[in-house]
Amino acid sequence: MESNNSQSLVEIRKKLKQLLVTSLSLEGVKPEDIKDDEILFGEGLGLDSLDAVEIVVLLQRNFGLEVKDMSQGKKIFYSVDTLVNYIYENQKK
Amino acid sequence: MGFWFFRVCLKLFGLSGAYGLLYFVCVHYLLFDKKAVTNALAYIKRRFPGCGWFKSQVKVYRLFVSQGKQLIDRFAIISGTAKFDIELKGYERLSALLADKNKGFVLLTAHVGNWQVALTTLKNMHKPVYLVMRPEDNAAVRESLNIDAQDDFIRVISPEGYLGGVVEAMNVLREGSIVSIMGDRKYGFEGIDISFLKDRAYFPFGAFSIAASSNCPVVVLLSAKLPGRKYIVDVSHVLFPGYEGTKDKREQLRKYVQEFAGVLDKYVEEYPYQCFLFHDVWRAA
Repeated sequence: MESNNSQSLVEIRKKLKQLLVTSLSLEGVKPEDIKDDEILFGEGLGLDSLDAVEIVVLLQRNFGLEVKDMSQGKKIFYSVDTLVNYIYENQKK
Repeated sequence: MGFWFFRVCLKLFGLSGAYGLLYFVCVHYLLFDKKAVTNALAYIKRRFPGCGWFKSQVKVYRLFVSQGKQLIDRFAIISGTAKFDIELKGYERLSALLADKNKGFVLLTAHVGNWQVALTTLKNMHKPVYLVMRPEDNAAVRESLNIDAQDDFIRVISPEGYLGGVVEAMNVLREGSIVSIMGDRKYGFEGIDISFLKDRAYFPFGAFSIAASSNCPVVVLLSAKLPGRKYIVDVSHVLFPGYEGTKDKREQLRKYVQEFAGVLDKYVEEYPYQCFLFHDVWRAA
């Protein structure tokens, strides 16, 4: 059971990195170049508010998720890992 | 200018009396509020190029008086002190958009005319309007829009929230609500350079990126004071932002921002003393 969960987490991480590169048109960046703990906005990947809009769409279209509670927004959108965990935890529900 | 002043004048002297006092009050602002004059001049010198110092000052004064009158009108309308005719232009297009219960739209406003009156006029839309507005502007705008008395018709999203409030804006658009954003000043959003009044200006593109990604239209909301006790509210300009392929999205949004600036160009050509930007949008910041 533990193994299945970990597998899913790995799959989500891989899919998310691919989506980030394609949806945000990250030039010269390959999915494998993105670290798991890469910070999304400001430093790290250096995304901006335009990219934030795209991530919201990406979450909805590919994972059927909406971030309703914006008090959690900063925590969820902090890094690749935090976003992956959010997707993982909310997909299970 | 303090809101209390207009409210008191209106109560004591009525609409015409309050207008009369305004001419003296605006002289004070012209002489002593250097910041307001400088900010107004950024617009005046582009709208009236070649104007000398004296003529420019006169035009700034006219702009102050014009804004003061519209502030007074706003309170007169809210308090019921005076009646105004409000003509709505383009409601058919808006009505068609409102018919779609599952889809919202972005209502793009600007610092021209009496946008608060225009917004209040639309309360019959039967859809909540979420104003993207800074917390420090909350009190003044709440008061001028009489938000608390509008039965929750107008709600607020802060652009200073995480990621500029874009996630909240997209959520409510998906629920079929309306998101109202200022299109001529950046506030929490990023800007892009376009041409406004034949000079390079910087307008925000956040409204268009939210609309493009949410697959929602952008309705431009303009209003202007006409002679007599009359206003016109114009919602006839509807834009449909979208992306083509994977080309630079920021660049793709530029044409929509420019189209909006073009609408404003025409507006200020017709109503030169109803542009209340009071901000140098031509300066990169």
